[in-house]
Amino acid sequence: MKTFIIIAIMVLADSAGDVLLTRGMKQVGEISTIKPKELLAIARKVLCNRSFLCAIFFMAITFFSFLAALSQADLSFVFPATALVYVIGTFGAKFFLGERVTSKRWAGTLLVCLGVALTSL
Amino acid sequence: MPLVTYILLAIAIFAQAAGNVFLSKGMKQIASVSPLIGGNFLALFSQLVNSPFIWAGTCLLIIFFLLFLTVLSRAELSFVLPVISIEIVVNVAFAGYFLNEPVSLIRWIGAVLISTGVILVMRSGQKPTGTECDVKIPGGQGG
Repeated sequence: MKTFIIIAIMVLADSAGDVLLTRGMKQVGEISTIKPKELLAIARKVLCNRSFLCAIFFMAITFFSFLAALSQADLSFVFPATALVYVIGTFGAKFFLGERVTSKRWAGTLLVCLGVALTSL
Repeated sequence: MPLVTYILLAIAIFAQAAGNVFLSKGMKQIASVSPLIGGNFLALFSQLVNSPFIWAGTCLLIIFFLLFLTVLSRAELSFVLPVISIEIVVNVAFAGYFLNEPVSLIRWIGAVLISTGVILVMRSGQKPTGTECDVKIPGGQGG
């Protein structure tokens, strides 16, 4: 039971991190320059972005709950469970970022999720 | 979605896969030269800092993260998230080829499923068509 809660926290934190990272980068704006000066300005903007900083926080939670999960269960159990991130992350993109997810994309995402679970068995 | 985004995505995927191979190689090398004494973090740290493999792996993963951010600023998460998972297929192939790790049948089946899924997602709307670029460029100039 404890392991499941830790894994749930890990998957949710990972998805939240991805969603916030995307939101932050969308707020910063499309990066389409390779001029060092402009890139530096973008980097400053990214580092001051609240969504980005929250994302880093969630990524840290993901990492530490991953470690915690590994202390409770085998990697061959923990890693396939992380495949759920693809599905939860897509839900997050749909509901929090307002992305339109077509049925074709859903089918692809589910296949990826299944495949990731298999490769890590 | 412009072609540049696809190229950035591809470089990101290879950077991450290569970074993982280097990290794995570096860590195995350290472990084989000096079996770790529990809790001796200082010794481990000095080993890590002196390993060119660890440096290369870390740099590649930093490059991955920066490219990942760039791609996220340009494309949808529900597109990038599944597509970037092809990295696992590349990793399985790299691990089999460069690290001589045995790759089981079930892992290859998983790799095929991931590839099929990624192809589906790539064909689900965001295409590098010329028309989309044509629409975007005048809008960008006007703004």
